[in-house]
Amino acid sequence: MTADTDLLKLINPALVEAAASGPRLLGGACRACGARSFPRAAVCTDCLSIDVETLALPSEGRLYSYSVVHQAPKGWDVPYVLGYVDLPDGLRVLAHIAAPPAAIAIDQQVRLALGVVGTDAAGAPLSTYTFVPA
Amino acid sequence: MTSNALREVRVVGTGLIPFGKFPDQTLAEIAWPAVREAILESGVKPKEIGGVFCGTALGGMLAGQRIMKTLGISGMPIINVENACSSSSSALSLGWLSVASGQHDVVVVVGAEKLTKFGGGTLPLEREDWEVNQGMVMPALYAMRARRYMHEYGLTETQLAEVAVKAHEHGALNPNAQIKKRVSLDEVMAARPVTEPFTLWHCCPTGDGAAAVVLASADVARRLEGKDVRIAASEVTSGLYTDHFRDMTWPELTARGARGAFEMAGIGPEDVDVAEIHDAFTIAELMYYEAFGFCGRGEAYGLLKSGATSLGGSIPVNPSGGLLSRGHPIGATGVAQAVEVTRQLEGRAGAHQVEGAKVGVTHATGGGIAGLDHGACSIHVFAR
Repeated sequence: MTADTDLLKLINPALVEAAASGPRLLGGACRACGARSFPRAAVCTDCLSIDVETLALPSEGRLYSYSVVHQAPKGWDVPYVLGYVDLPDGLRVLAHIAAPPAAIAIDQQVRLALGVVGTDAAGAPLSTYTFVPA
Repeated sequence: MTSNALREVRVVGTGLIPFGKFPDQTLAEIAWPAVREAILESGVKPKEIGGVFCGTALGGMLAGQRIMKTLGISGMPIINVENACSSSSSALSLGWLSVASGQHDVVVVVGAEKLTKFGGGTLPLEREDWEVNQGMVMPALYAMRARRYMHEYGLTETQLAEVAVKAHEHGALNPNAQIKKRVSLDEVMAARPVTEPFTLWHCCPTGDGAAAVVLASADVARRLEGKDVRIAASEVTSGLYTDHFRDMTWPELTARGARGAFEMAGIGPEDVDVAEIHDAFTIAELMYYEAFGFCGRGEAYGLLKSGATSLGGSIPVNPSGGLLSRGHPIGATGVAQAVEVTRQLEGRAGAHQVEGAKVGVTHATGGGIAGLDHGACSIHVFAR
């Protein structure tokens, strides 16, 4: 996994890291009040502290809703599935759902993965965190 | 906002161009006919115009000056307002306040947008937004709302498609609509998918357009005669930020704005005779029925099916065809709704007239931005 992900060009490397046990979403935890954030907040939206540490988030969640997207700006591999995943700590994450639409259902458990979702201006593959049925 | 110290503000002139696609015209060329129509209809002299408020989301710098100079109207304060789909409805609120507060006796509010310059497709969103950077497009946001609503309330895709059929039944009667034709349920269902469960007909079209109103104090309005439509409430709100759970079946921002607007106007949802609401996508119309209190939660399809929100019903919604049929050049929409409702209350809406309408509501909300329901929401109540 580590060797493979080194080759991936991530859309936003600040949002996900590749660990030996698999990818992990990176959020934030305010050291002053404990509030969680995703993406990691530069300033805590609960108490305005700027002492927010990076925190690896749970890798499983529940799919709140989704849509199969057929029309999108240039660069995305259409069709793709977008969904909102609710993590056990209350955070909600917008993510590509890397599964055939027929295998996707509201409220199903999903787990974190990495996947190619499009190409950059030069035609190179672009990757990001995704969720797949657990 | 308390209205005790504020003056009554009336709509004394309206102007609107038929929405469509005008790639060969500049924004100013698209917009000046609407402003000219509103001024001529009002009877005010250009030198009486104390201020101009121009709403456009993607029209570029100094849009108001570019439009007004075409008519030789310049020198007064011209304020350009960007608030995504609420741009010109926010400009309307500022224009209302400037007359209500006594700053000006007469102002022009104009909304204008030219989306054809982007060449079609989904609305270009801000790439600095992390969700946009992960593939969010506006139709997907609404589609996810639709999917969850269908899951919770048992709404079917066919039932959802009926919203589009109703919108185009109305739009077919409106000479200013971008899409002036009826569509059948089968056509809606069989069209190409955009963001499931939406096909093309579930989505408002991309286009260009402009609309304008002249607002005046009651003193000026009395001099002009026959100008009886007043702004009974003007409300602008923004979405509440959270990166945690949100109930996507409940448009909290619109519900909050509606409560505020109704309170300011001293009315309730049962008093509304006609409403122009932000049906950018089919599901939006249904969810906003509930947010405005036209029916209870989960009851929107029943209200649609009853015919209550169609012309001839008890609370016709989007008699113009709404965003789905009249079109949604985003910055122009708020003032276009104000023009529509003013003409409805004055009994001159033509084939899509709501008979005897005395109280009307306009509602423009929007902006795809991570963590917010929507960026902005502006609601106005008009009465005569």
